Amino acid sequence: MATKKLAFIVRSLPYKTEASRLALTHAIASQTVEIYLNDGDLVEASVSYVGDGVLNCLKGQQGMKHYGITTIEGHAKNSLLLDMRVLICKEDLDKFGLTEDNILMDAEDIGGETKANVVSYGEIQKEMDAATHILVC
Amino acid sequence: MGKLTIGTFSSLVGSLSLDFSVKLAEAAVKKGHKVDFWMSGNATMLAKKGQKAFKDYSFLAKPIQELIATGNFQICACEACAEARGYHKEDCPDGFIRKSMDWYLASTFDADRVLHIGGD
Amino acid sequence: MKLAVLMSDYRNGIDMIDRLSAESLGIILVGNGVYHAAVKEGGKTSSLLDKKANFYALTEDFETRGITAANLDSRVKAVNYGDVVDIIFNDYEKVVWI
Repeated sequence: MATKKLAFIVRSLPYKTEASRLALTHAIASQTVEIYLNDGDLVEASVSYVGDGVLNCLKGQQGMKHYGITTIEGHAKNSLLLDMRVLICKEDLDKFGLTEDNILMDAEDIGGETKANVVSYGEIQKEMDAATHILVC
Repeated sequence: MGKLTIGTFSSLVGSLSLDFSVKLAEAAVKKGHKVDFWMSGNATMLAKKGQKAFKDYSFLAKPIQELIATGNFQICACEACAEARGYHKEDCPDGFIRKSMDWYLASTFDADRVLHIGGD
Repeated sequence: MKLAVLMSDYRNGIDMIDRLSAESLGIILVGNGVYHAAVKEGGKTSSLLDKKANFYALTEDFETRGITAANLDSRVKAVNYGDVVDIIFNDYEKVVWI
Protein backbone atom coordinates (compact mmCIF):
# COMPACT_ATOMS: atom_id res chain seq x y z
CA MET A 1 0.00 0.00 0.00
CA ALA A 2 1.40 3.34 -1.01
CA THR A 3 0.31 6.86 -1.77
CA LYS A 4 1.99 8.95 -4.44
CA LYS A 5 1.50 12.69 -4.33
CA LEU A 6 1.19 14.79 -7.45
CA ALA A 7 1.53 18.55 -7.13
CA PHE A 8 -0.16 20.35 -10.02
CA ILE A 9 1.25 23.87 -10.22
CA VAL A 10 -0.92 26.20 -12.28
CA ARG A 11 1.01 29.20 -13.58
CA SER A 12 -0.72 29.87 -16.89
CA LEU A 13 -3.58 32.21 -17.57
CA PRO A 14 -6.96 30.65 -18.33
CA TYR A 15 -8.92 30.31 -21.57
CA LYS A 16 -6.40 31.37 -24.22
CA THR A 17 -4.78 27.99 -23.80
CA GLU A 18 -6.16 24.82 -22.31
CA ALA A 19 -3.33 24.32 -19.83
CA SER A 20 -5.01 25.42 -16.60
CA ARG A 21 -8.25 23.64 -17.48
CA LEU A 22 -6.33 20.44 -18.20
CA ALA A 23 -4.43 20.81 -14.94
CA LEU A 24 -7.71 20.74 -13.07
CA THR A 25 -9.32 17.95 -15.07
CA HIS A 26 -6.20 15.81 -14.67
CA ALA A 27 -6.02 16.52 -10.96
CA ILE A 28 -9.69 15.61 -10.57
CA ALA A 29 -9.01 12.34 -12.42
CA SER A 30 -7.04 11.25 -9.35
CA GLN A 31 -10.45 10.41 -7.86
CA THR A 32 -10.88 7.44 -10.21
CA VAL A 33 -7.30 6.28 -10.57
CA GLU A 34 -7.78 3.33 -8.21
CA ILE A 35 -9.27 1.21 -11.00
CA TYR A 36 -5.75 0.91 -12.39
CA LEU A 37 -3.97 0.36 -9.07
CA ASN A 38 -3.66 -2.39 -6.49
CA ASP A 39 -5.93 -2.26 -3.46
CA GLY A 40 -4.76 0.38 -1.03
CA ASP A 41 -2.57 2.21 -3.50
CA LEU A 42 -3.48 5.83 -4.12
CA VAL A 43 -2.54 8.82 -6.21
CA GLU A 44 -3.29 12.07 -4.39
CA ALA A 45 -3.37 15.32 -6.30
CA SER A 46 -3.15 18.87 -5.04
CA VAL A 47 -3.52 22.06 -7.06
CA SER A 48 -1.48 25.19 -6.37
CA TYR A 49 -1.97 28.47 -8.18
CA VAL A 50 1.09 30.70 -8.57
CA GLY A 51 2.09 33.75 -10.60
CA ASP A 52 -0.44 34.63 -13.30
CA GLY A 53 -2.12 31.34 -12.46
CA VAL A 54 -3.91 32.91 -9.50
CA LEU A 55 -6.15 34.70 -12.02
CA ASN A 56 -7.76 31.32 -12.71
CA CYS A 57 -9.36 31.68 -9.29
CA LEU A 58 -11.38 34.83 -9.97
CA LYS A 59 -15.04 34.52 -9.06
CA GLY A 60 -17.85 35.21 -11.48
CA GLN A 61 -16.39 33.65 -14.65
CA GLN A 62 -18.95 33.55 -17.45
CA GLY A 63 -17.45 31.28 -20.08
CA MET A 64 -20.70 29.34 -20.38
CA LYS A 65 -22.68 32.49 -21.06
CA HIS A 66 -20.40 33.79 -23.78
CA TYR A 67 -18.69 30.74 -25.29
CA GLY A 68 -20.82 27.82 -24.14
CA ILE A 69 -17.96 26.21 -22.24
CA THR A 70 -17.56 25.31 -18.60
CA THR A 71 -15.58 27.77 -16.55
CA ILE A 72 -12.27 27.20 -14.83
CA GLU A 73 -14.08 28.42 -11.73
CA GLY A 74 -16.51 25.51 -12.08
CA HIS A 75 -13.66 22.99 -12.30
CA ALA A 76 -11.95 24.63 -9.34
CA LYS A 77 -15.17 24.33 -7.39
CA ASN A 78 -15.39 20.64 -8.29
CA SER A 79 -11.85 20.13 -7.02
CA LEU A 80 -12.94 21.54 -3.66
CA LEU A 81 -16.11 19.44 -3.67
CA LEU A 82 -13.82 16.42 -4.04
CA ASP A 83 -11.79 17.57 -1.01
CA MET A 84 -8.70 18.25 -3.04
CA ARG A 85 -6.00 20.35 -1.42
CA VAL A 86 -6.01 23.75 -3.11
CA LEU A 87 -3.35 26.38 -2.44
CA ILE A 88 -3.37 29.93 -3.78
CA CYS A 89 -0.25 32.07 -3.51
CA LYS A 90 -0.88 35.11 -1.32
CA GLU A 91 2.04 37.15 -2.65
CA ASP A 92 0.70 36.77 -6.17
CA LEU A 93 -2.84 37.68 -5.13
CA ASP A 94 -1.37 40.77 -3.46
CA LYS A 95 0.52 41.61 -6.64
CA PHE A 96 -2.79 41.74 -8.52
CA GLY A 97 -4.56 43.56 -5.69
CA LEU A 98 -6.83 40.57 -5.07
CA THR A 99 -8.21 39.34 -1.77
CA GLU A 100 -10.16 36.29 -0.69
CA ASP A 101 -13.32 38.24 -1.53
CA ASN A 102 -12.39 38.21 -5.22
CA ILE A 103 -11.52 34.55 -5.60
CA LEU A 104 -13.17 31.19 -5.33
CA MET A 105 -12.54 29.95 -1.79
CA ASP A 106 -15.16 27.25 -1.31
CA ALA A 107 -17.80 25.06 -2.93
CA GLU A 108 -20.43 25.45 -0.24
CA ASP A 109 -23.18 26.14 -2.77
CA ILE A 110 -22.75 22.65 -4.23
CA GLY A 111 -22.26 20.91 -0.90
CA GLY A 112 -18.50 21.09 -0.59
CA GLU A 113 -16.86 21.34 2.81
CA THR A 114 -13.22 21.85 1.85
CA LYS A 115 -11.93 25.38 1.45
CA ALA A 116 -9.10 26.73 -0.66
CA ASN A 117 -6.04 27.93 1.25
CA VAL A 118 -4.44 31.28 0.59
CA VAL A 119 -0.84 30.70 1.60
CA SER A 120 2.60 32.20 1.27
CA TYR A 121 4.75 30.93 -1.57
CA GLY A 122 6.79 29.07 1.03
CA GLU A 123 3.84 26.75 1.67
CA ILE A 124 3.61 26.00 -2.05
CA GLN A 125 7.32 25.24 -2.07
CA LYS A 126 6.71 22.79 0.78
CA GLU A 127 3.91 21.21 -1.27
CA MET A 128 6.38 20.67 -4.10
CA ASP A 129 9.00 19.32 -1.71
CA ALA A 130 6.51 16.79 -0.35
CA ALA A 131 5.22 15.72 -3.76
CA THR A 132 6.40 12.59 -5.53
CA HIS A 133 6.11 14.41 -8.84
CA ILE A 134 5.50 18.04 -9.83
CA LEU A 135 3.36 18.89 -12.85
CA VAL A 136 3.58 22.50 -13.98
CA CYS A 137 0.83 23.75 -16.25
CA MET B 1 16.37 0.43 -15.43
CA GLY B 2 13.59 2.84 -14.66
CA LYS B 3 10.29 4.07 -15.90
CA LEU B 4 9.70 7.52 -17.36
CA THR B 5 6.18 8.83 -17.76
CA ILE B 6 5.84 11.74 -20.15
CA GLY B 7 2.62 13.71 -20.33
CA THR B 8 2.16 16.45 -22.84
CA PHE B 9 -0.43 18.98 -23.97
CA SER B 10 1.64 20.29 -26.91
CA SER B 11 0.40 20.06 -30.46
CA LEU B 12 2.09 18.06 -33.22
CA VAL B 13 2.12 21.05 -35.55
CA GLY B 14 2.86 24.51 -34.21
CA SER B 15 5.23 23.55 -31.43
CA LEU B 16 8.40 21.47 -31.21
CA SER B 17 7.69 20.42 -27.63
CA LEU B 18 6.03 17.22 -28.82
CA ASP B 19 9.10 16.46 -30.94
CA PHE B 20 11.21 17.02 -27.83
CA SER B 21 9.16 14.56 -25.82
CA VAL B 22 9.33 11.90 -28.55
CA LYS B 23 13.09 12.32 -28.89
CA LEU B 24 13.49 12.10 -25.13
CA ALA B 25 11.38 8.93 -25.14
CA GLU B 26 13.61 7.47 -27.87
CA ALA B 27 16.73 8.25 -25.85
CA ALA B 28 15.22 6.77 -22.69
CA VAL B 29 14.12 3.55 -24.41
CA LYS B 30 17.52 3.25 -26.06
CA LYS B 31 19.06 3.32 -22.59
CA GLY B 32 16.80 0.49 -21.45
CA HIS B 33 14.12 2.48 -19.64
CA LYS B 34 10.40 1.97 -20.09
CA VAL B 35 8.36 4.95 -21.22
CA ASP B 36 4.66 5.71 -20.90
CA PHE B 37 3.61 8.57 -23.15
CA TRP B 38 0.37 10.43 -22.45
CA MET B 39 -1.21 12.98 -24.76
CA SER B 40 -4.01 15.30 -23.86
CA GLY B 41 -5.33 18.56 -25.26
CA ASN B 42 -3.73 19.47 -28.58
CA ALA B 43 -1.18 16.66 -28.24
CA THR B 44 -3.90 14.20 -29.24
CA MET B 45 -3.25 15.40 -32.80
CA LEU B 46 -0.48 12.82 -32.74
CA ALA B 47 -3.08 10.08 -32.25
CA LYS B 48 -4.57 10.52 -35.73
CA LYS B 49 -3.54 8.15 -38.44
CA GLY B 50 -2.93 9.11 -42.05
CA GLN B 51 -0.50 11.94 -41.34
CA LYS B 52 1.66 12.86 -44.31
CA ALA B 53 5.26 13.94 -44.06
CA PHE B 54 6.02 17.49 -45.18
CA LYS B 55 9.36 19.05 -44.52
CA ASP B 56 7.74 22.18 -43.09
CA TYR B 57 5.96 20.21 -40.36
CA SER B 58 6.84 17.77 -37.66
CA PHE B 59 6.22 14.16 -38.61
CA LEU B 60 6.43 11.78 -35.68
CA ALA B 61 4.49 8.75 -36.92
CA LYS B 62 7.61 6.81 -37.90
CA PRO B 63 9.59 7.22 -34.65
CA ILE B 64 6.45 6.45 -32.66
CA GLN B 65 5.89 3.19 -34.54
CA GLU B 66 9.54 2.27 -33.97
CA LEU B 67 9.16 3.01 -30.27
CA ILE B 68 6.01 0.89 -30.03
CA ALA B 69 7.86 -1.97 -31.73
CA THR B 70 10.46 -2.02 -28.92
CA GLY B 71 7.83 -3.25 -26.45
CA ASN B 72 9.10 -0.75 -23.89
CA PHE B 73 6.88 2.13 -24.92
CA GLN B 74 3.16 2.68 -24.36
CA ILE B 75 1.36 5.59 -25.95
CA CYS B 76 -2.07 6.71 -24.86
CA ALA B 77 -4.31 9.59 -25.88
CA CYS B 78 -6.96 11.27 -23.78
CA GLU B 79 -10.17 9.91 -25.24
CA ALA B 80 -12.30 12.99 -24.52
CA CYS B 81 -9.64 15.38 -25.86
CA ALA B 82 -9.42 13.32 -29.06
CA GLU B 83 -13.18 13.03 -29.54
CA ALA B 84 -13.55 16.79 -29.01
CA ARG B 85 -11.21 17.25 -31.96
CA GLY B 86 -13.01 14.75 -34.17
CA TYR B 87 -10.41 12.00 -33.78
CA HIS B 88 -12.36 8.81 -33.26
CA LYS B 89 -11.34 5.32 -32.24
CA GLU B 90 -11.09 4.22 -35.87
CA ASP B 91 -8.71 7.16 -36.53
CA CYS B 92 -6.21 5.95 -33.94
CA PRO B 93 -2.92 4.63 -35.36
CA ASP B 94 -1.95 1.01 -34.67
CA GLY B 95 -0.47 0.49 -31.25
CA PHE B 96 -1.99 3.61 -29.71
CA ILE B 97 -4.52 3.36 -26.91
CA ARG B 98 -7.16 5.83 -25.76
CA LYS B 99 -8.19 6.19 -22.15
CA SER B 100 -9.49 8.74 -19.69
CA MET B 101 -7.11 10.97 -17.72
CA ASP B 102 -6.86 8.57 -14.80
CA TRP B 103 -4.68 6.32 -17.00
CA TYR B 104 -2.00 9.01 -16.92
CA LEU B 105 -2.23 9.48 -13.19
CA ALA B 106 -2.03 5.73 -12.69
CA SER B 107 1.08 5.65 -14.86
CA THR B 108 2.76 8.17 -12.56
CA PHE B 109 2.22 5.83 -9.61
CA ASP B 110 5.15 3.57 -10.39
CA ALA B 111 7.10 6.01 -12.55
CA ASP B 112 10.61 6.86 -11.41
CA ARG B 113 10.41 10.19 -13.20
CA VAL B 114 7.50 12.17 -14.60
CA LEU B 115 7.96 14.88 -17.20
CA HIS B 116 4.79 16.88 -17.63
CA ILE B 117 4.79 19.35 -20.51
CA GLY B 118 1.78 21.40 -19.52
CA GLY B 119 1.62 23.85 -22.38
CA ASP B 120 2.85 24.50 -25.88
CA MET C 1 14.67 18.07 -3.11
CA LYS C 2 16.90 17.50 -6.09
CA LEU C 3 15.14 19.16 -8.96
CA ALA C 4 15.79 19.25 -12.69
CA VAL C 5 14.09 22.09 -14.54
CA LEU C 6 13.67 21.80 -18.26
CA MET C 7 13.56 25.46 -19.26
CA SER C 8 11.94 25.76 -22.68
CA ASP C 9 11.23 29.49 -22.86
CA TYR C 10 13.31 32.62 -23.18
CA ARG C 11 10.85 35.39 -22.24
CA ASN C 12 8.81 33.59 -19.60
CA GLY C 13 9.47 31.37 -16.64
CA ILE C 14 12.46 33.00 -14.94
CA ASP C 15 10.10 34.26 -12.22
CA MET C 16 9.12 30.67 -11.53
CA ILE C 17 12.71 29.47 -11.41
CA ASP C 18 13.78 32.39 -9.22
CA ARG C 19 11.34 31.27 -6.55
CA LEU C 20 12.17 27.59 -6.68
CA SER C 21 14.19 26.28 -3.83
CA ALA C 22 16.05 23.00 -4.12
CA GLU C 23 19.02 21.50 -2.34
CA SER C 24 20.30 20.58 -5.78
CA LEU C 25 19.06 22.33 -8.90
CA GLY C 26 19.78 21.45 -12.50
CA ILE C 27 18.58 23.72 -15.27
CA ILE C 28 18.46 22.06 -18.65
CA LEU C 29 17.95 24.60 -21.41
CA VAL C 30 15.82 23.19 -24.20
CA GLY C 31 13.72 24.69 -26.98
CA ASN C 32 13.83 28.48 -26.84
CA GLY C 33 15.36 28.18 -23.40
CA VAL C 34 18.73 27.67 -25.10
CA TYR C 35 18.91 31.40 -25.80
CA HIS C 36 19.70 31.87 -22.10
CA ALA C 37 22.95 30.05 -22.74
CA ALA C 38 24.24 32.28 -25.50
CA VAL C 39 22.36 35.52 -26.08
CA LYS C 40 23.75 38.70 -24.55
CA GLU C 41 20.88 41.14 -24.54
CA GLY C 42 22.17 44.68 -24.09
CA GLY C 43 25.60 43.11 -23.67
CA LYS C 44 24.55 41.15 -20.60
CA THR C 45 24.25 37.42 -20.17
CA SER C 46 20.92 36.06 -19.00
CA SER C 47 20.20 36.61 -15.32
CA LEU C 48 19.07 32.99 -15.21
CA LEU C 49 22.71 31.95 -15.31
CA ASP C 50 23.30 33.74 -11.99
CA LYS C 51 21.12 31.17 -10.26
CA LYS C 52 22.99 28.62 -8.15
CA ALA C 53 22.48 25.60 -10.37
CA ASN C 54 24.11 23.23 -12.79
CA PHE C 55 23.35 24.38 -16.33
CA TYR C 56 23.02 22.26 -19.42
CA ALA C 57 21.90 23.13 -22.94
CA LEU C 58 20.53 20.66 -25.43
CA THR C 59 22.84 20.54 -28.44
CA GLU C 60 20.08 19.58 -30.87
CA ASP C 61 18.10 22.67 -29.84
CA PHE C 62 20.86 25.28 -29.78
CA GLU C 63 22.30 24.08 -33.07
CA THR C 64 18.79 24.15 -34.58
CA ARG C 65 18.70 27.86 -33.68
CA GLY C 66 22.08 28.74 -35.18
CA ILE C 67 24.06 28.64 -31.94
CA THR C 68 27.24 26.61 -31.62
CA ALA C 69 28.81 25.07 -28.55
CA ALA C 70 31.54 27.72 -28.82
CA ASN C 71 28.87 30.42 -28.24
CA LEU C 72 27.72 28.94 -24.93
CA ASP C 73 28.42 30.69 -21.68
CA SER C 74 31.17 28.90 -19.77
CA ARG C 75 28.69 27.95 -17.03
CA VAL C 76 26.66 25.87 -19.47
CA LYS C 77 27.49 22.35 -20.56
CA ALA C 78 26.32 21.06 -23.93
CA VAL C 79 24.37 17.81 -23.69
CA ASN C 80 22.42 15.52 -26.00
CA TYR C 81 19.14 13.68 -25.46
CA GLY C 82 20.89 10.64 -24.01
CA ASP C 83 22.67 12.87 -21.51
CA VAL C 84 19.35 14.47 -20.53
CA VAL C 85 17.95 11.02 -19.75
CA ASP C 86 20.96 10.22 -17.57
CA ILE C 87 20.82 13.59 -15.83
CA ILE C 88 17.15 13.30 -14.89
CA PHE C 89 17.45 9.67 -13.80
CA ASN C 90 20.77 9.81 -12.02
CA ASP C 91 21.26 13.32 -10.68
CA TYR C 92 17.79 14.58 -9.74
CA GLU C 93 14.63 13.21 -8.11
CA LYS C 94 11.99 15.35 -9.77
CA VAL C 95 11.62 16.99 -13.13
CA VAL C 96 9.59 20.02 -14.16
CA TRP C 97 9.04 21.66 -17.53
CA ILE C 98 8.74 25.42 -17.74
